[in-house]
Amino acid sequence: MIKGLLASLSLVPLAIVALLITLFIAESWPAWEKYGLSLITTADWDPVRESYGILPAIVGTLVISALAVTIAAFLAISFVAVSYEFLPPRAAVVLGTTMDLVAAVPTVVFGLWGLFVLAPIMQAAQEILWRDLGWLSYNGVGPFAVEPRGGTTVLTAALLLAIMITPFAASVIREGYAAVPKEVVEAIHSITSRRWEIVRLKLAYIRQYVFSGLVLALGRAFGETVAVAMVVGGNFVNVIRALTEPGVNVSALIALQFPNAHAYVYMVPTLFAAALLLAVIGFAINATAVYFLLRR
Amino acid sequence: MIQVLFYAGALLAGLLLSALTAALLGDPALGDLHLSYVLYVVTVAAVALGAAGPRVLKNSLSIAAAVAGVLGGAALVYIFLAQVLYVGTAMAVKHGGLAFLWNIPPTPADETGGIGPALLGTLYMTAIGAFFGFLIGFPAGIYLGEFRRELAAKVARIGVNVLVEFPTITIGLLVYALFSLLGMRAFSGYAGALALTIIMIPYVALFTAAAYASIAPAVREAAYAVTGSLYKTLFIVMRKVVARAVLVAFLLGTAKIAGETAPLLFTAFGNDYYTSEIFGVDLGEPTGALTLLIYYMAQTPYTVQNEVAWGAAAVLLWIILAVFAVARLLQRSA
Repeated sequence: MIKGLLASLSLVPLAIVALLITLFIAESWPAWEKYGLSLITTADWDPVRESYGILPAIVGTLVISALAVTIAAFLAISFVAVSYEFLPPRAAVVLGTTMDLVAAVPTVVFGLWGLFVLAPIMQAAQEILWRDLGWLSYNGVGPFAVEPRGGTTVLTAALLLAIMITPFAASVIREGYAAVPKEVVEAIHSITSRRWEIVRLKLAYIRQYVFSGLVLALGRAFGETVAVAMVVGGNFVNVIRALTEPGVNVSALIALQFPNAHAYVYMVPTLFAAALLLAVIGFAINATAVYFLLRR
Repeated sequence: MIQVLFYAGALLAGLLLSALTAALLGDPALGDLHLSYVLYVVTVAAVALGAAGPRVLKNSLSIAAAVAGVLGGAALVYIFLAQVLYVGTAMAVKHGGLAFLWNIPPTPADETGGIGPALLGTLYMTAIGAFFGFLIGFPAGIYLGEFRRELAAKVARIGVNVLVEFPTITIGLLVYALFSLLGMRAFSGYAGALALTIIMIPYVALFTAAAYASIAPAVREAAYAVTGSLYKTLFIVMRKVVARAVLVAFLLGTAKIAGETAPLLFTAFGNDYYTSEIFGVDLGEPTGALTLLIYYMAQTPYTVQNEVAWGAAAVLLWIILAVFAVARLLQRSA
C-alpha cells in the first residue's frame, strides 16, 4: 500500500514532463501549421505582418552557450586542478564553498550586476577588441567585426553566463577528481612528476565526469533566461554577425516577447514552439550527460 | 578533447581579460603601441606554448594559466558578491532602512520606495512551493532511493532527471498554459507557487534518493528486522539516519526556488501594491516577488527604481546567504 503510494508519487515528475510536452505541442500547433519548418530556419520578427522565424534566437543560443561553456571549461578545470594539486586543503575548502555559493546565487542578481557593472566595462573592452581585432572577418562576419553600440551584447552575456555555469561543471568534475583510485594515482606518479602532466592524466582518467559536467553546464547555458535577457541587448530580427552585436537566445526571446504576444494571433503559438524547442534540447542534453556517466 | 577545450577557453578568457584590463586602465598607449597589443601577444604566446611548446614550458605555462584562471574567476566572483551586498545594502539604507522592507515600490515620480509586497509575495510563494514540493519530492525520493532496482523506479528516475534540468522558463509556460486551459486566471500567486512546487519536487527527490541509497545495508536490514513494517522502517528509523542530508536538500531547494525569476514571469506576474487587508498579499491576484521586482526595476530608465532594484538584490542575497550558511553548518557537523 505504502509502496504503491510512494511509487505513484515518484512518477509525478514524469507525468509533468509528459504533460509539458503535450501542452506545448498543442499550443504551438497553429504556428507549425502556418509556417512549417521555416519557423526555425528563417530570420524574421515582424508581428505586424504576423511573420516569425526564430533562427536568430537559435543561432544566438548556440553561440552564447558555446562561448560560455568553453570559458567555463577552462575555469572549472583550473579550479579543480588548483584546489586539489596546488592549494593547502583549508584554502581549497574556502574556494569550494565559494563555488557552491555562486551556484546558489539567484540568476537575476547576476543579471543586475551584469547590466550595471559588467556591461559598461565590457563596452569599453569591446571597443578595444573591435579596434584591434575587427579585421578578423569574412564577408562582414567575424568575432569582433561589428562596432559595438553599447555594452549589452552577445559577448557580455557569454562572459556572465560562463561565471554562472562554472560551479555546475566544477562540482561534477570535482567529484570525479576526488574519486580517482589510489592505485591509478600511484601509477600516474610513477610515470611523471610534472604537476600539470599529473593533472592531465587524472583528467583523462575521469573524462566521463568532465564531459557530463560540461554537458550539464551546457544545459544551464541553454536554458538561462533572465540574466541573459538583461545583458544580451535583444535583437530578434537578424542573425548575429559578430559577438560585439546585441543578440538574443531562445529563452530570453520568450521572456522578452511573451508579455505583448497576446496582441497578435500567431505570436503565442510561435513562442510555445520556441519553448518546445527548449524542452526538446533540454531532453537531449540530459540524455547525453547520462550516457557519458553510464559509460564508465 | 579536454585539452583542446581547456586551451581554447584559456585563449578566450585571456583575450577578454586583456581587453578588460586595457579598458580599465583607460587604454594606455606608448606611441603607436597600445597596451592591449602587448597583452594579446602575451596571452597568445603563453597559451600556444602551454598547449604545444617544449615539455618544461608546457608544464609551467599550463599551471600559470590555471592559476590565472582561478585568480581571475575568484576576483570577479568576490567583486560581484561584495558589490551587490555593499551597494545594495547601502541603497536599502538610503531608502528608509528597515522601512525599506515594508514600503511599496516607487513609481518613477516617487523619491523613495521599498520592497514590501514583493518580499511578502516571495515569502508566501516560496513557503507554499517548498512545502508542497517537499511533500511530493520527499516520498518520491524515498522510492527512487530505496527501491532503485525496480523497473518503475528506473523509469521514474528518468522523469526526475529530465525535469530537474529543464529550463525553468518552460515550467512557467506550462503552468500558464495549464491555467489558461482550465479557464483559470494564470496571473496569480497560486500559479507562481505551483510553478515553484514543480521546480522543487525533482530537486528534493534527487537528494533524498541519494541519501536513502547511501544507507549501509546492515543498518537497512536491522531497521526492517526491528520494525517489521515498511512505513516505520522508511519514515521513522531510516528517516533519522538521513535526516540531516534531507534537511540540507530542503534548505538548498528552498533557496533555489526563492531565487527563481523565469517561472514567475508569466504566472505570479508581479505587483507593486498590497492586495489584502489581512495577509498583505492576496495570492489570488497577480503577486509580486523580489526577483521579478529586480528584473523589472533594473531595466527602467529611472534612478529611483534602479536603486530599489539594488536594495532588493541585497535583501534577496542576504536571505540566500543565511539559508546557505545554515545548510553548510548542518553539513559540516554531520
